[in-house]
Amino acid sequence: MKDNKVAEVKNLVKSYGAKGFLTKVLKGVDLEIQKKDFIAVMGPSGSGKTTLLNILSTIDKPTQGVVMVDGRDVSKMPNRELSKLRRDKIGFIFQDYNLLDTMSLQDNIALPLAMSGVSGKECIQKTGELARMFGLEEHLSKYPYQLSGGQKQRGAACRALITEPEIIFADEPTGALDSKSSRELLECLRKVNEHGQAAILMVTHDPFSASYARDVYMLRDGRIICRISRGSDRKEFYDRIIDVQTSMGGDFSWE
Amino acid sequence: MGMMRLAVLNFKNSFKNYLSLIISLAFTCVVFLNFQNILYSSAFDVLGTRNREYINMLVWMTSFVLGCFMVFFIWYSTNVFLVRRKREIGIYIFMGLSNQKIGQMYWIETVLIGLSALGIGLVAGMAASGLFQMILFVVSDLKLEIRFCSDIRSILVTVAVYLVIYMIFAWKGYGNIVRSSVLEMILAAKQNEYVRQNRFLLIGKAILGVVILGCGYGLALKEGRTNVMGNAFGAVVLVTVGVYLLFGGLIPFLFWTLASNKLFLYRGTRTLWINNVIFRMKKNYRTYAVVCVLMLCSVTALAMGFAMKERYDNMIRFENTYTFQLISSRSDLDKPARDLIEGESPIVFSSTLPVLSLDGSFVKAGGNYSKYEFVSYSYLRQLARDTGMELLFEEPKEDEVFLVSHLHLLSLITQQTNEIIVNGKLYRQTGEASVPYLGYLQESMNFYVMNDHEYEKLVPLGEELYTYNYRIQDLERFARIRDNLDVLVEETKENHTGRVAIDPQSNEIDWIKMLYSICIFMFLVFIFASGSIMFMKLYNDAFEERERCKVLRKMGIPQELLRRSVAAELLTAYGTAFVVMAVSSLFSVGALGKMMYTNLLSVNVVSVLVVLGILAVWYGLSLWTYERNGEIE
Ligand SMILES: Nc1ncnc2c1ncn2[C@@H]1O[C@H](COP(=O)(O)OP(=O)(O)OP(=O)(O)O)[C@@H](O)[C@H]1O
Ligand SMILES: [Mg+2]
Repeated sequence: MKDNKVAEVKNLVKSYGAKGFLTKVLKGVDLEIQKKDFIAVMGPSGSGKTTLLNILSTIDKPTQGVVMVDGRDVSKMPNRELSKLRRDKIGFIFQDYNLLDTMSLQDNIALPLAMSGVSGKECIQKTGELARMFGLEEHLSKYPYQLSGGQKQRGAACRALITEPEIIFADEPTGALDSKSSRELLECLRKVNEHGQAAILMVTHDPFSASYARDVYMLRDGRIICRISRGSDRKEFYDRIIDVQTSMGGDFSWE
Repeated sequence: MGMMRLAVLNFKNSFKNYLSLIISLAFTCVVFLNFQNILYSSAFDVLGTRNREYINMLVWMTSFVLGCFMVFFIWYSTNVFLVRRKREIGIYIFMGLSNQKIGQMYWIETVLIGLSALGIGLVAGMAASGLFQMILFVVSDLKLEIRFCSDIRSILVTVAVYLVIYMIFAWKGYGNIVRSSVLEMILAAKQNEYVRQNRFLLIGKAILGVVILGCGYGLALKEGRTNVMGNAFGAVVLVTVGVYLLFGGLIPFLFWTLASNKLFLYRGTRTLWINNVIFRMKKNYRTYAVVCVLMLCSVTALAMGFAMKERYDNMIRFENTYTFQLISSRSDLDKPARDLIEGESPIVFSSTLPVLSLDGSFVKAGGNYSKYEFVSYSYLRQLARDTGMELLFEEPKEDEVFLVSHLHLLSLITQQTNEIIVNGKLYRQTGEASVPYLGYLQESMNFYVMNDHEYEKLVPLGEELYTYNYRIQDLERFARIRDNLDVLVEETKENHTGRVAIDPQSNEIDWIKMLYSICIFMFLVFIFASGSIMFMKLYNDAFEERERCKVLRKMGIPQELLRRSVAAELLTAYGTAFVVMAVSSLFSVGALGKMMYTNLLSVNVVSVLVVLGILAVWYGLSLWTYERNGEIE
């Protein structure tokens, strides 16, 4: 089933610091993301979640190991190609939204598509579709400062999706949202994933957010220590995540 | 810790942050000081009382622009300090400081910043003065001894004006802090200037701006004989206000309209840079307007310099048409004069021309002179043949005249009449030319060329004077011939004979060179001012770009596109200011051309191109630093 593999890391090692003072943050991580996956990565603060996500999304480079995105080895690609890969295959959702404050929500969403040379007509049409899907139609002409956190994050999700990427990387997308906004965003993401539009890899602290995923990976001390898969019921999944978290012990800090 | 020490500490820490503001404040001092230097330099002594009127007018207009410039910068800088200080206010409130204390701290800090800017400005100003002087000497090969170096008076005036304006704004800031509530100050921390603008306000400003600018342009080109100075000054004020409103209204409105047309907007990098331009325009339009006005000043100064230079050369040529000229009521002086001259030097060419002088009471024309001069066409044709000068017009008809005038350096009467009534008969003036048929004499006497028949009819009314004009070959003999001719003049005293000798060595009109040099000097000051202000602004703005670019890069927007977008954005900043300047210069230089009775279009175009070239350098520099400061490279 090689065709369905969107991204993959093998024996991933990442260390920071100068020689002699190296700290290994990731100590051999293997992870495979399939086309239909919705993965949540959980773990204590400082366990290397953001690092893992940055490497997978080609923003950061591994110290050792193989990173494959879209069937290609990323470590050997020149920067220009990497940009192209990120633009075409990868979508990003950041914790603090990162919408550009200089433009309206509509322009923010359309930006990646317009910049990649797609016709204005198509940009407008797609922006409209996504905005409808995420319940943002009435807010399109507003500027980021006029939007609530939840609306901004849904906008960011639209922006991530507009280029029809194969995979969405989200680092704590609900980190700054209240539970209602979180739920709205997660519902949308799940819908996107279930329609087969994109695989999703999400880093989160929050078991509730994680319970929207199909698989949860627990990261600790630079290693994936367990994987929990969802059954049919979200509530039950949520309880199981909590159980695992408790069993992992007190050092699972909530920051 | 005392207030003073806290403020000094703050000042030290923030010095680097405020460096660009301090530099721009210092720069206003540099410009102002340099202008004062011109005023107090020996330059105007050379000019003496002659043409004092024009000079005063120029000084006033320039002072107005420079004054606006200084007020703007001080207001802008103190406001930036104020907003930043208010943002940090939370800390001090928790330290238990009262509004008064915080206000005092702000005041001390602001004054320290102001004083350091003044200090830097004075030192840099004196250095710049010397530098400009050197450039001037190279550019204008002045023989006159002019000193532009810093006069103590100019330093005092600069310090006084600067401090008065600065203190007013510092006190204003102090009052603002004392009066504001704690909540308001903490809120200021979160405030940011946002893009949204009231559409109707924008349209209103746009319309008002266009109307005011239009009035300014109109006033600049308005013909007048009495209130030309008032008109010119009014035009300067209106254009300044108009440009300000243009950048606050019409230009953002245009971009805003572009941005709301999504089909247009969603193409390549447009989404990014057009939105950025709108965002920046809202914050920076005052700066852009100031830059634009300064650019307009620089281009006008340069055009004036060019025009002066050209006019100077022409006037030299005009005056030097003949070496000697006699004027007398006797018609038979040609032979004796010619003999006298030819005894010493060959004659290159010579001419005689009878001129009819009529008392002003017979004539009703544009001016109000005590005498009017008339010449018959066939005599003039003869003169043209003798001297090889061209005759630009046909023989006037019975009811026509043609005016032959001199070159004006500047004239405050720009209104032309094209009718003249002589002895009750109306003549239509078909044209005007300034060919030096009568050389130096023509400097003080315009004459109307008439149909021979009409001329004969007028002869009995006035007095016919004969002019004898000679250009000699051997200029070494100038003095001897002059003395010989004086004998002849003395002998025919009862015929009101007069003699003009144009010494080719004299530098009587060198003062025009002076004006020309001052124009070039002002040009340098203005172009440097406008370029550096724009540069500073963009230099600062670039830092804001860092975050944005980081996000965009993460999203996979290629470096290439980011750079292109930045290039387009900066080009718009410089470009809009340049275009508004270029259009406005048509009117400012046009007005100048009117005063000089000439068409300065080509001079205008050349000046604009020179400014364009210099701006291109500034643009390149800005782009380079912008990419570095914004970490886009
Ligand atoms: N650029 C860097 N240089 C040095 N060390 C770094 C760098 N980036 C991250 N680290 C270190 O790597 C470790 C993992 O960081 P990472 O950001 O991946 O943690 P995280 O799991 O995302 O934590 P959190 O849940 O708090 O966001 C931390 O100990 C951090 O100090
Ligand atoms: Mg993290």
